[in-house]
Amino acid sequence: MEVWDMLDAFLPQLLLVLFALLMPALDYWLKDKRILAFAALIPMLGYGLALVTWTIGGHWEPPETGIPLIEVNLFSGTFALAFVAVGIIVVLSSPDYIRGERNHGEYYSLILLAVTGMTVVALATDLVVLFIGLEIAGIASFALSGFSKKERRSAEAATKYFIVGGFSSALTLFAISLFYGVSGTTDIAAMGSQMEAMFSSLEGTRSVATLATVMLIAGLGFKIAAVPFHMWAPDVYEGAPTPISGLLAAASKKMGVAAMFKIFLVGIIVTKSDWDVAIAVIAIVTMTVGNLIAISQANIKRMLAYSSIAQAGYILIVLPVGTEYAVAGGLFHVLTHAFMKSGAFMVVAALAVRGVGERLDDYKGLSRRSPFLAVAMTLFLLSLAGIPPLAGFASKFVLFSSAVYASIDPGPSWLLWLAVAGVLNSALSLYYYARVIKKMYMEKGPEERVTVPKMTGAAILIALIMTIVLGIYFDAVVELCQEAAGSLLQAVS
Amino acid sequence: MIPIEYWLIFSSLLFCIGAYGVLTRKNAIVVLMCIEIMLNSANINLVMFSSYHSVLHGVVDPSGQVFTLFSIAIAAAEVAVGLAILLSVYRRYQTIEVDKINILRW
Repeated sequence: MEVWDMLDAFLPQLLLVLFALLMPALDYWLKDKRILAFAALIPMLGYGLALVTWTIGGHWEPPETGIPLIEVNLFSGTFALAFVAVGIIVVLSSPDYIRGERNHGEYYSLILLAVTGMTVVALATDLVVLFIGLEIAGIASFALSGFSKKERRSAEAATKYFIVGGFSSALTLFAISLFYGVSGTTDIAAMGSQMEAMFSSLEGTRSVATLATVMLIAGLGFKIAAVPFHMWAPDVYEGAPTPISGLLAAASKKMGVAAMFKIFLVGIIVTKSDWDVAIAVIAIVTMTVGNLIAISQANIKRMLAYSSIAQAGYILIVLPVGTEYAVAGGLFHVLTHAFMKSGAFMVVAALAVRGVGERLDDYKGLSRRSPFLAVAMTLFLLSLAGIPPLAGFASKFVLFSSAVYASIDPGPSWLLWLAVAGVLNSALSLYYYARVIKKMYMEKGPEERVTVPKMTGAAILIALIMTIVLGIYFDAVVELCQEAAGSLLQAVS
Repeated sequence: MIPIEYWLIFSSLLFCIGAYGVLTRKNAIVVLMCIEIMLNSANINLVMFSSYHSVLHGVVDPSGQVFTLFSIAIAAAEVAVGLAILLSVYRRYQTIEVDKINILRW
């Protein structure tokens, strides 16, 4: 029975995998493929409810884990919540979108596996588990992005994603192997102190650690699409089926963020002086380039892709700042971005189901064709730009103000520039978000009505409610995020 | 025991060969093979460091070797999915030259 006690902490993941394996069988038996989507929702809703009652309600505690490789704490809980929420939104909107395709069972199965991998990354306290989680999610999403086999661009997106993803995981694995070499352990919490001991006893190990850090920045930089490792993201998001683009932008990218938080803020925090300037520069370049290129895009999925590159830049602020408040801001932004970005992609998906194209010009006069979708899109875009009282404003506020606080108290004063760059970029981003809103409301387009596909509408509604609720009750959420950040950083102190 | 430097040079060379191939080759299958070379260079590192730490501290440190087993399995899964993707690309484009697969661009 001891084995079962140890598996307690893995129970949600086991359920997810079990349902993932069941999906193709159910696909074989069921005539109505929509039931498949509901079956795929069962484990995610269960996991999500458990996470909500634990993190927000405080009515239930997850079992203590006996395994040293994973830890169930508020940090992992918050990230898992974001992943599962995106998973639910994506699965809900899928039946409408993939109606004409074959192999529905495999589709839901792969989504469940991707979510499993992401939650494993959130739980991991060991580099082995972290890497396995990254790869489970990665391999599942390679296949997902090529799901529309009839479309040329879907196949192309899958190829590009697969080559870049394989290259990035090779870089990550090589970096991890070097870290293992200079620290002698794969346990993230123990890495720092062991590395310091090694630095003092063996000459040259510090430069190996620096090399490994550079490779890790590149490897995980590809995963979160930080500039200059971002070239794949717009192509893949444009070519992949739209719900999957939402999954990649809102959840898969956050998995890279979770891995970075763990490795940089816990594992190699002892060498922070070696990498903080580099990551700060990458953060500023990422948000600026993302926003600047987004301005010139004519395809809405590409525009959202560049906007999510910019959002990754905002989140990268957390690493050079490194205070508990900053991590809380990063977590908060991960949560809000999960809802607003997946919501925006689901609006695109809903319109695509009804035959509205993906060019910005296709959105002309949308407010008269479908008021609900136009209002939802407007709110998501305003939230992405950071307009109060929506969620995006609150999380960006916490994120940027943490950089300001840290520039005064512990950190070097140049951290202030991160906040300045962030605020300027938010102003810049408003331009291209507002352009879409102008097209939807001010310009004349075709007149015929667009009906909202039911299940996609439900998914959009969930994302919309969360975007507003997270903005209004932000103080409670910030408190939760601060506790979560504390649970991550306590491993260091 | 072979000095650790030799192993490090060997694995770094393999890694560089793989990375060079990924960046310059046009055929997607060759790119796939180069990614495998890169992953394997990391595997060599892991096994080598594992045995090196065992000698250094006098206690057997198996975590690197276990990690290698996992990463070999992951690499195999990646190849399986990758070849499937390349098959579906070939059906759409009648080629797997990566520079000819280029309808998505800004």
